[in-house]
Amino acid sequence: MGKLFTFVGLGVVLALALLLAVVAGDYGPWYFAWIVGTVMIVLIAGCGAVMYDAQHENGTGEI
Amino acid sequence: MPLIDPSVVDLSRLQFALTALYHFLFVPLTLGMTFLLAAMETVYVITGKQIYKDMTQFWGKLFAINFAIGVATGLTMEFEFGTNWSMYSHFVGDVFGTPLAIEGLMAFFMESTFIGLMFFGWDRLSRPGHLAVTYLTALGSNLSALWILVANGFMQNPQGASFNPDTMRMEFNSFLKLVFSEDAQAKFVHTSIAGFVTGALFVMGISAFYILRKQHRELAARSFRMAALFGIISSLAVVTLGDALGRLDYLVQPTKIAAIEGLWQDSAANGSAASAPWLLFALPDQAKQTNYAEIGVPYVLDPLIAHSFNTNIPGLISLEQQAGPRIAKGIVALNALQAYGKDHDAAALATFKANESDMGYGFLAQRYAPNQDLNLITPANQGAIIAQAEKDTIPNVPVTFWSFRIMMALGFFFVGLFAFAAFYSLKNQLERHPLLLKLCVWSIPLPILACEFGWITAEAGRQPWSVYGYLPTFQAASSHGLGYMVFSLIGFALLYSAFIAAELYLMFKFARLGPQPHHAAAPEATPAPMFATPAE
Repeated sequence: MGKLFTFVGLGVVLALALLLAVVAGDYGPWYFAWIVGTVMIVLIAGCGAVMYDAQHENGTGEI
Repeated sequence: MPLIDPSVVDLSRLQFALTALYHFLFVPLTLGMTFLLAAMETVYVITGKQIYKDMTQFWGKLFAINFAIGVATGLTMEFEFGTNWSMYSHFVGDVFGTPLAIEGLMAFFMESTFIGLMFFGWDRLSRPGHLAVTYLTALGSNLSALWILVANGFMQNPQGASFNPDTMRMEFNSFLKLVFSEDAQAKFVHTSIAGFVTGALFVMGISAFYILRKQHRELAARSFRMAALFGIISSLAVVTLGDALGRLDYLVQPTKIAAIEGLWQDSAANGSAASAPWLLFALPDQAKQTNYAEIGVPYVLDPLIAHSFNTNIPGLISLEQQAGPRIAKGIVALNALQAYGKDHDAAALATFKANESDMGYGFLAQRYAPNQDLNLITPANQGAIIAQAEKDTIPNVPVTFWSFRIMMALGFFFVGLFAFAAFYSLKNQLERHPLLLKLCVWSIPLPILACEFGWITAEAGRQPWSVYGYLPTFQAASSHGLGYMVFSLIGFALLYSAFIAAELYLMFKFARLGPQPHHAAAPEATPAPMFATPAE
């Protein structure tokens, strides 16, 4: 039951994201670019940290 | 309507410039740091590693110092519109007041509420709950900026409002047009991402300082890596958005773009628009309408500004001449408006409507009219008055030209700096390049400087208008006495300088102190990662 709610919740988020993309893409392309771009910037910065940890698990300790 | 003392107008402009530029010393860091904190906390929540929580809390402390002082400096500006720019507030208050009010609600309710939860909620909220609060803080601070930039977008390119001759002011007709105007959009994204660059370089610079001193290495190396990646994409985005804003200025504010480029003659004046040079260096002379010591790169101007190879970009001399007929029509519009105001004559209203789009240009002629009365302009003196008023349609070229170039040079410098920083961080070779690390430390204030020069370009380039094409700046001010303006200007300068001193003292103190254990008495057990690998 919990998983069903998770899927339904994520489905609603997906539908809202699509709606936002359509509306913002038509009327506010730069706003839409900001939303997508900011998420991308945050995720890439986060990936950099995870990559750092992976590199240093068996690394020389040099930074 | 009598004109306000030009000295009072100049002091009002100086005071607003001073308070706005002081305020904007703090804003970019807030805009950028919040999302960088969100990135750090995201890694903490996903991996469960304590170091990322320490990073979020340490950088959060520096962010909090900046935020508190930034809010204090922003408060006065909202009131300044009413106290020093009462004619402006009357003329466009119906439009301008709305985004300003929303900004106030965003800043004081949404942003401040979530910042409180972010700082005091570590032990009271679940990890995902706290992460959501951090993201909402970031969103709240950037949405606050959005509404200010929507309001500024209206001043640059008035959308969503029209002039009502019965109330003698501009009134809303489309909230959506105001919010989704291209100027508001591009300006918001450009400014917000410039804040990301500022936040990234702040974190990268202080981390570089720790790495050079071999202090807090674990925290510094991770922070540096995250900030470098955050910064490289942001700096590229800022340049892209800068190009979008330039293109927009070319379409809606031709005088600004011509001043930015020091373009006195049309780009096709030498026979071909395509070969017109983009000026790397020049010494513009406003009085003689020419440049000295020009160093330009041919074949760059047209594709850069018009995104084309064969479009003539009008120069300042042409634009000045084009303003003449608009000023003449503006005089007719304002005289008709005055006649309509007296007895609501339908013919006067029809004359006004026919010339309404040039109404603002009529105001420019008022300061040169006999007794500053447009009714006293006659066919005999009109030519001379228009010739004087035409000159006023051109912004201060040296200021606009150089502030833009300094901002742009810094923007490209950041792209290079972040590129090298990210490259050597990804290769784990930062400690082999102490010069790069030192450069990162010394570059900490540069993005703030770039933001300041960006605002000077935008606002000086919009002159002589407070609302482009509608209301000249000299008509927008309040009729204060000189003494009041000088006293309040000195007061603000002293108060804000004290704020800066307090910020710098606290920032240096806590940055030198470095991260401190938050739960030294009872160390927190390392939490399980949110997405843990199942035990085998």
